[in-house]
Amino acid sequence: MAEHTVASFDEDLRQISRLINDMGDLAGSMVGGSTRALLETDNALAQRVVSDDAIMDARQRELDDRAITLIAKRQPMADDLRHVVGSIRMAGDLERIGDLAKNIAKRVGSVGVAAAPRDLTHSIDSMAQMVLIQVQGVIQEYMAGDATALAKLRNDDERIDVKYTSVFRELLTYMMEDPRNITACTHLLFCAKNLERIGDHVTNIAENAYYVLTGTQLPANRPKQDETAMSAPAA
Amino acid sequence: MKPMLSTDLNVADTTVEKAKIEVKNLNFYYGQSKALKDINLSLPERSVTAFIGPSGCGKSTLLRVLNRIYELYPKQSAEGQVLLDGKNILDRSQDLNLLRTKIGMVFQKPTPFPMSIYENIAFGVRLYEKISKAEMDNRVESALKRAALWNEVKDKLNASGQSLSGGQQQRLCIARTVAVKPEVILLDEPASALDPLSTAKIEELIDELQAEYTIVIVTHNMQQAARVSRQTAFMYLGELVEFDRTEKIFTSPREKRTQDYITGRFG
Repeated sequence: MAEHTVASFDEDLRQISRLINDMGDLAGSMVGGSTRALLETDNALAQRVVSDDAIMDARQRELDDRAITLIAKRQPMADDLRHVVGSIRMAGDLERIGDLAKNIAKRVGSVGVAAAPRDLTHSIDSMAQMVLIQVQGVIQEYMAGDATALAKLRNDDERIDVKYTSVFRELLTYMMEDPRNITACTHLLFCAKNLERIGDHVTNIAENAYYVLTGTQLPANRPKQDETAMSAPAA
Repeated sequence: MKPMLSTDLNVADTTVEKAKIEVKNLNFYYGQSKALKDINLSLPERSVTAFIGPSGCGKSTLLRVLNRIYELYPKQSAEGQVLLDGKNILDRSQDLNLLRTKIGMVFQKPTPFPMSIYENIAFGVRLYEKISKAEMDNRVESALKRAALWNEVKDKLNASGQSLSGGQQQRLCIARTVAVKPEVILLDEPASALDPLSTAKIEELIDELQAEYTIVIVTHNMQQAARVSRQTAFMYLGELVEFDRTEKIFTSPREKRTQDYITGRFG
């Protein structure tokens, strides 16, 4: 893309991209850190995730300020307009991912989580890995300008939904088998739900990023495979 | 490649509306120099169309072809067709005075006649119609009301038109244009010399006038084009690069040249 005649306009846009990139990195580290802290009962790591959320919030506020100032000063058009408005929306989703990761981190040390069955923590772990790949991938593909990869990544959320349904059923089974598992499993159920929600935010980011890059919206209907709503109220 | 209105989105397509003016294979020359190259576009009735592009792109030239005002100058000529309600106005048999009552024009610099506010409006009407004093009073009042100027000048209709502020003068020129009951109004940078408040009044006026008139506006102010028009034509070096719904042009234009121009990456 050619540079703007007004060079400071390019600098303003770069600052916004840099913030999205930083928030994406931070979101990835918070998601990875929170699940690891939970499964390994690592209180120090959990505390770091909680304090990272304050950094995430500050980055979002900075991005909002910069974006609004840019709109007021430059009246961006076309791809510039999409970039600025899309960044505001993506920052909102990244901030929510931070909140959800913090929520997972705050459960570290809760009664009984460490005593959860090993098979179950494996399932949560592998779900967390899937989500982490999505979180890291969406920002990488956006920064690389790869709209095709973003469209694919958005559809890949389906796999997380399927995984969530399977984890949900697994949790129910453990709870029915032995009521002493209920406390740990309830915490893990919330974690799994948070991971599934993080996947949804990644989907939103992918949709926004696709629009920013192409100027067209992805079709509204995406395959949804989360079937837990049929059997239980949403967590 | 000829620009086409996009039909790939499920939104109202301007091509289905009745065309007031259709420009077909239009070429224009200043002497030997070709200023417009094979222009094809269709301007929907009762709607605002904006022409944008860098200086020298041909947008004002195209506007000047639409009422053949270029014929006031020697060595300027147009080829092709400009159909107003299906009739080619470039035809030699076209009555130019009649054409200019149907297609009025307002220029960048307000051009009130050196006469009273009342006479500025009555003067043009008298050229084409013989009406009584009472009818003329009504016509002047209605034109000034339509140009959102009546309340500011109703107590000083005999004052000179040139005593008004720049913004008021421009609205007087619009009132003068409206008074002869045109079908199309051409606006050549109508607000570029005005302060923001006067500009807002002109834009509000354009918004109201489109219910009755087909309006074409040339503007360098892209935000203005985005605000007031339903469709926008981007021109460059005498070519029509892209013509589409205004929101499409300003959010996701198809042509790279359009994108570069409206985002300030040109040249």
